[in-house]
Amino acid sequence: MRSLKPLLLGLGVSLAGCIGNLGDPGENSPSGGNPTDPEADPVMEPAPAALPRLTEAQYRNILGDVFGGSLPALTVEPDTNPYLFESIGASTTTLSELGTQHYEENADAITHAIFADASRRAVVVGCDVAAEGEACTRAFLGRIGRQLFRRPLAAAELDRWVAKAGELSQPDGWEGLRLALAGMLQAPSFLYRVELGEPNPDAPGELRLNGYEMASRMSFLLWNTGPDAALLDAAEAGELDTAEGLRTHTERLLSSPRAKAAMQAFFAQYLDLGKLETITRNPENYPLYTPNIQAAMRHEVELIVDDLVFGQRGDMRSLFSTHRTFVNADIAAIYGITPDFTNADANGFVAVDLDPNGPRAGILTFSAYLTMNAHETQTSPTTRGKYIRERVLCQAVTPPPPDVDTDITPPPDGEPETMREHLEKHRENAQCAGCHAFIDPPGLLFEHFDSVGAYRTEQPALGHYLGDGSPTYPIDSSGDLDGEPLEDADDLAAVLADDERVGRCIVKQLFRHSLGRIDSDGEGPAIDDLDGHFAADGYDFQKMLLTLITHESFRRVAEPTSDEGEGN
Amino acid sequence: MKTRLSRRTLLRGVLGSTAVGLALPSLEAMVGEKVAKAADPYPIFGLFFWGGGLPWHDKHGAEQAGHADLWTPATEGAGYAPSTLLEPLAPYQPSLVTGLTPHTEVPPSPPGQDDGHMRGFMVAMTGDRIRPEGFDHPSHTLTALRPTLDQYVANHPDFYPDGVPKFSSLVLGISPARFHEYGHWNHISYNGPDSTNPPIMDPTQLFNLLFSIPPDVDLLKRRASLLDAVMEDGKDLKKRLGAADKLRLDEHLDHMDEIQRRLELSGAVCEVPAVPGNSTDIVAKTDIMGELLAKALACNLTRCFSFMLTSPATTHVFTAQGANNDFHTTVHNGEWDAARNVTMLQMQAFAALLARFQGTVDPEGATLLDRSLVFGLSEYGEGYKHSVNEMAAVFAGGCNGHIAKGFHARNPGGNYSTAHVTIMRALGIECPQFGWNGGETTEHIAGILK
Repeated sequence: MRSLKPLLLGLGVSLAGCIGNLGDPGENSPSGGNPTDPEADPVMEPAPAALPRLTEAQYRNILGDVFGGSLPALTVEPDTNPYLFESIGASTTTLSELGTQHYEENADAITHAIFADASRRAVVVGCDVAAEGEACTRAFLGRIGRQLFRRPLAAAELDRWVAKAGELSQPDGWEGLRLALAGMLQAPSFLYRVELGEPNPDAPGELRLNGYEMASRMSFLLWNTGPDAALLDAAEAGELDTAEGLRTHTERLLSSPRAKAAMQAFFAQYLDLGKLETITRNPENYPLYTPNIQAAMRHEVELIVDDLVFGQRGDMRSLFSTHRTFVNADIAAIYGITPDFTNADANGFVAVDLDPNGPRAGILTFSAYLTMNAHETQTSPTTRGKYIRERVLCQAVTPPPPDVDTDITPPPDGEPETMREHLEKHRENAQCAGCHAFIDPPGLLFEHFDSVGAYRTEQPALGHYLGDGSPTYPIDSSGDLDGEPLEDADDLAAVLADDERVGRCIVKQLFRHSLGRIDSDGEGPAIDDLDGHFAADGYDFQKMLLTLITHESFRRVAEPTSDEGEGN
Repeated sequence: MKTRLSRRTLLRGVLGSTAVGLALPSLEAMVGEKVAKAADPYPIFGLFFWGGGLPWHDKHGAEQAGHADLWTPATEGAGYAPSTLLEPLAPYQPSLVTGLTPHTEVPPSPPGQDDGHMRGFMVAMTGDRIRPEGFDHPSHTLTALRPTLDQYVANHPDFYPDGVPKFSSLVLGISPARFHEYGHWNHISYNGPDSTNPPIMDPTQLFNLLFSIPPDVDLLKRRASLLDAVMEDGKDLKKRLGAADKLRLDEHLDHMDEIQRRLELSGAVCEVPAVPGNSTDIVAKTDIMGELLAKALACNLTRCFSFMLTSPATTHVFTAQGANNDFHTTVHNGEWDAARNVTMLQMQAFAALLARFQGTVDPEGATLLDRSLVFGLSEYGEGYKHSVNEMAAVFAGGCNGHIAKGFHARNPGGNYSTAHVTIMRALGIECPQFGWNGGETTEHIAGILK
């Protein structure tokens, strides 16, 4: 029951206006990215470590790593994502009773599956407990315990597991081993990421992660699973106590396909791709919305991310301005393009360079974003604009003030109106205008794109579909960002292409994701410093990961808080 | 408890003759002591929750005027004539109170705490406001200050005076559509702050949990014994943690205690229903889940449950009811006809659950519904402007004679927690007062509590 209270203090929401910046310290910080001198010596104050439980993906990945082969069907309590990230949910949400039972049943099912197969059992255990007795028990539990707990077991701890295995050896030693392993698979030392730190011998009074804890933290970030044997051995050898060692192993991990999957997990949460799954469209009204389109929309973003992080390794901010994308036939139909699919990949996707003079640039003009920030019968400039403020620029939008009438729907028998006319009401009302003047204008830049992301030159009145016989109206896609007038989404992409706030936002979200908590006030200088390095490295995301993993903010922690009243 | 027992016995005498007959297995076929005790004297408590409130009308506010009130019965007191939306529930003669609203204070900061989804939900479910600390409207992050009614009841010593059955409660759900991944947007049952009970939504999963018990009892006992070592590991870790994480791990260890107890209780034998199907239709799926729930209650596997038909701000798409957009957007758009149709459908689902309770008769002739209090509620008064005026509060079931049938109490502007006091007192739970942070009341609803 970690309270979000101390974390929230860092959420610099200005109550006077609509705008705040996600996690900026205090209210006096500049409202954009603070360009910093990478040479400056930041004074950062570490925060207490979070204690994230393994996310569902991490739990499944580790079991796959440790046991290989097929495993029985497992049920796991669903992740939660306060402040966007599953890792934050994992360190704030309490496991339920049913979730606890799932772990117990999974542990029993997995160990049964492994021990029922004598050859598989022999591979996993590595000795013959029937012949060798306790020596085998001790060797196996010590070895697999180190892998599962991501650290060596203390002597008393190993004794306890060995004793339990002995006690439960009915009818034989194999059953005792199986049950002890089932116990480890539901032990808090396995299920929680324990990265609490220890005194730093070089800096009295400071706590820092030890080598094993570093192995764990970097592995979960880069591979979304526990450390492999090589990384644990590196920790044991002290290699992870030096920047050089951290760099070597970060590069090793980044060169694996597993890093690609882990980065997809981060970007999917940061970009809210999970929201797509909640979207439905009636194919009668949207013939382009084919049965597999949702997965294709998501895959398009994944391929762009992969290309920017691991392929062409461009400026990560160009996510929001790139003309290079990846389409299959269904997405191509939405975009009205006819690429050559001769060299399409196994999923039917091919890289395309969109017309630089066309309407699309960056993922905000691609199908996933446009679809998930719209409704069946209407676009939603408000949610599209809110996404830009919150996701792309890391600004906080405050909710409507108390007692305000949030509804601006016309009476059913009123005059037909377009979305733009509809939203004008936001600005006629002084109570609404403050925020909606901030959210709506960037969202209106996308009015040329309908609820599945197809380009349109005319629009129906609200509540109607194009082609249903109702009158149509021309589209005005003008809007602005922070007072700068813009013609359309393509103009916005040009602005975002070198907006420092975009880079800083990526850093902030990566920081939160990697630590499983919101950044604290004291970590503001650290984020400034990381952002400065990101800029100096041309916003190359892999270099950002190297910077982060070797940064003191990734390694230092504060003493846990022990105020008794917390968390109610 | 003696008084309650005698009332219960009397009730059985009265209702036994009129209860709907059900093909019951013979007593001989129902093995063991556990089943012989099936005619339990104690009440059952459940929550039936639906998202989106009610169709709006002028009692929700001047701006919502222009539509008929299809919820509030025209007459008050006993024997009211069901309104249009209550018609599906009519065979079960529920009582209801109309006009109630939250009385809790709304702290000014952080802003947004007056939002119906948040305030209305928390007051209806816990009697308290949301926790202001950590509340973040932009990311829809909020949590409860205290347990929701189902967990409050399940953990109250007065509710299980003879010991907790195999499950202290069951937490079920029907529609997986959700507005957001976090907290109450898809989990309505809370133990406390940031501690929710995700609902079981898969009938097969529920079936396995309740009825698929491994036959090797000795093995189950070894699994139970193993948990001692697991808990030792947790206790070692706990020593190193700060206060908040310590609490979180403590709850996890408490759950292990509970799992251990459940493994040791593995001998219970219940009538095993057929392996269930599934459905994407919320009424049909309610019937499927309702059958399993009724079997579990009849077998004393638990006496407490929550049943989330749809989640707060549900994004379920009810195309057949004329709602083309997700339901949250539909009501925000002011599509009243769709709101009416969807509410009607949700009441039909409520009725499907109650039908299963009505149709489950114990060996002494009483139905599950006679024993139960199923409290029907939603997140706010209506979804159009999220007014928390006129919030729904339905009392279905006889609660062993402590809840009146077919009584309509009307109390415009009344404190929502008067419904909570009524629930607690009907269940025999000591309740001098309920509600917090301005929502306190000592009053129950006269006419509904017997």
